Amino acid sequence: MYRYDEFDQRFIDERVAQYREQTERYLAGELTDDQFLQLRLRNGLYIQRLAPMLRIAVPYGTLSSEQLRALADISRRYDKGYGHLTTRQNVQINWPALEVVPDILGDLARVRMHCIQTSGSCIRNVTTDQFAGVAADERVDARPYCEIVRQWSTQHPEFDWLPRKFKIAFNGAAADRAAIHVHDIGIRVDRAGDDIVFDFLVGGGLGRTPAIGSVIRTELPERHLLTYLEAIMRVYNRYGRRDNKYKARIKILVRAMTPEVFRDRVDAEWEHLKDGPSTLTREEIDRVLRCFEPPAYPRREDQTALLAERRLASPGFNAWVRNNVAPHKVPGYAVVTLSTKLTGVPPGDVSDVQMDAVADWADRYGFGELRIGHEQNFVLPDVPQEHLFELWEHADAHGLASANLGLLTDIVCCPGGDYCSLANAKSIPVAEAIQREFDDYDYLHDLGPIDLNISGCMNACGHHHVGHIGILGVDKKGAEFYQIALGGHAGDDASLGKILGPSFSRDEVTGVIGKILDVYVDKRVEEEPFLHCVRRIGIAPFKERVYASAG
Amino acid sequence: MPALVKGLRVVPDEWTLVGSGDVPDPVPERTILALEDWLPQRAALSGGRAGVWVEGDAEAEAVGPHVADLPLIAVHFPAFADGRGLSLGALLRTRYGFQGELRAYGDILPDLAQYLHRSGFDAFLLADRRSAEVAIASVGSITDHYQASVRQPVPAFRRR
Ligand code: HEM
Ligand code: SF4
Repeated sequence: MYRYDEFDQRFIDERVAQYREQTERYLAGELTDDQFLQLRLRNGLYIQRLAPMLRIAVPYGTLSSEQLRALADISRRYDKGYGHLTTRQNVQINWPALEVVPDILGDLARVRMHCIQTSGSCIRNVTTDQFAGVAADERVDARPYCEIVRQWSTQHPEFDWLPRKFKIAFNGAAADRAAIHVHDIGIRVDRAGDDIVFDFLVGGGLGRTPAIGSVIRTELPERHLLTYLEAIMRVYNRYGRRDNKYKARIKILVRAMTPEVFRDRVDAEWEHLKDGPSTLTREEIDRVLRCFEPPAYPRREDQTALLAERRLASPGFNAWVRNNVAPHKVPGYAVVTLSTKLTGVPPGDVSDVQMDAVADWADRYGFGELRIGHEQNFVLPDVPQEHLFELWEHADAHGLASANLGLLTDIVCCPGGDYCSLANAKSIPVAEAIQREFDDYDYLHDLGPIDLNISGCMNACGHHHVGHIGILGVDKKGAEFYQIALGGHAGDDASLGKILGPSFSRDEVTGVIGKILDVYVDKRVEEEPFLHCVRRIGIAPFKERVYASAG
Repeated sequence: MPALVKGLRVVPDEWTLVGSGDVPDPVPERTILALEDWLPQRAALSGGRAGVWVEGDAEAEAVGPHVADLPLIAVHFPAFADGRGLSLGALLRTRYGFQGELRAYGDILPDLAQYLHRSGFDAFLLADRRSAEVAIASVGSITDHYQASVRQPVPAFRRR
């Protein structure tokens, strides 16, 4: 993990004091609501339909057991004992009183955490693969570069007052678990001989106008990372639209200019910045890389026989290993995902007790480090294989062992109408109904990997565009309806879902999903996954089945 | 009453800004004209009598070539959350080498002062004296930042 030095610590301490002073001025009536809004957003404080919500940055989803315990403690003292894992690898707590937020920030700063730029029109928390550093398919651990960008983007003098929020994601593995195609900037990290290079995708995003990012630069050498980013940001800051917030994201600018012209503008800007003082030095890169050196793994053997025996004896453990345990770079270890997707619990919600338990497991079955993935789950990156069974038993007892990772019921879902003032429709009850209907593990396993995403409105917080099955809440003359799309995908060869047709009432949704699955089971060839099947046969057969029986 | 901060002190404002198309004849000393009004008269106005104002979304390329003839450039912020003026300021300082007074005016929240200062502005016009004092304090609220800026062209990582 990145280790703070005095510079980093002083910065966040001073940032807390700065925010405290801003809060005091607001409470004294010296700032209007609109003025304070912008200031509090840059410190992660939203005020939603029911109550305020504080979004705590978990840079690129990596945190320590000590930090997770601090979060558990904060949720106990300032919230109702709950935290929420977001789709951008952060943690949110609800109901913090505005007056005490500076105190919460002070508590966070003590464990080297903050809420800086977790909301507002600025560069947000940089994200990456939740398996970074341990995934067997990794080319480069992207976290050091995320950290370098985190530091560079923190209170940037020019780029903290952008037309709109700005999200950057890195991916350094063969599979794209960071959704770089649907970020404002997606960066692919790779090796070229002994060098590290970056490919830049710009202008991807979800929301009202979903778009897949365009590649504007390939194989940029490592040292130019910040100057090239600066060039992109300057073009966006100057020319991005500010007259209409729905047209303010960089994707609209890239589309309006065309990716080629946008790229030329960036290159022209970069000519001035290239090789300037912000060019990364070998010393700096090495300083950050050293923080992410792999732990000294005690030598272990793969436990193939032991695991096979346990799996045979316990169907529950078997299902969990199959879905929630991923291969590790180092023999004898495994990467475990602890699912928060338990039927009846809003996806991503975790209690203080669960957080404390996960922190303990991170110490006991690892090196005190853990991750949050964008699918709103915890990841324990370094679990010795011989302890998998034991961990599973603990996780099961704490409701964190749902073996549905990547399966239909591992739903990504926004807060929707239960909590969000912008919603057209509720989303959590839809997720719950689907989880209740399809609760047979054998059936779910047989269906294989299916991403189901639900958003309560077109702001797309639940990323419905990139769900293999995407559900979107729409308003039909004041009633809650749901539009269903098929074929979206967030990874490599990303695609946006195609809408099936007219929307459905909430009661109909589960039945429709059932019919979609039936078509898939009928039409699939051999082991063909759902997404591939949809891509091969198109949406027509699904449409036919779903609407034929409806009419 | 508006209060001008210059060089991190509250100082009297000796300049008068006039709207676009509003060119007094003759142009008094220390008048800030719209760029488009100044351009046609720039030969007569050289010698530092007049400054110009531009909107935050002005092209740096439109003002940049004239910086040597200008003692003051004022950049208008239509809304404090509109960061275009920050990029414009940084460009005027770094790319065009502007040495005169770079002033921010319009909807300037005191908390923006830190960003303005680091993007090369040395003067900000605030709503009142109290705001001006808050603005000055806000510039000093963070000892050192990570990235390079107009004020500190060497990023922290080269100084760590
Ligand atoms: C209840 C409160 C919430 C409100 C009012 C809200 C509102 C919004 C809005 C207005 C957008 C606009 C996107 C755009 O720029 O077009 C957005 C985007 C987004 N929200 Fe939320 N949101 C809420 C909760 C959440 C939660 C809990 C999550 C995480 C699970 C989340 C994840 C996201 C993400 C990832 C995006 C970005 C989509 C993109 O790439 O553009 N939101 N949200
Ligand atoms: S998608 Fe819409 S309903 Fe869901 S959280 Fe975002 S803004 Fe709210």
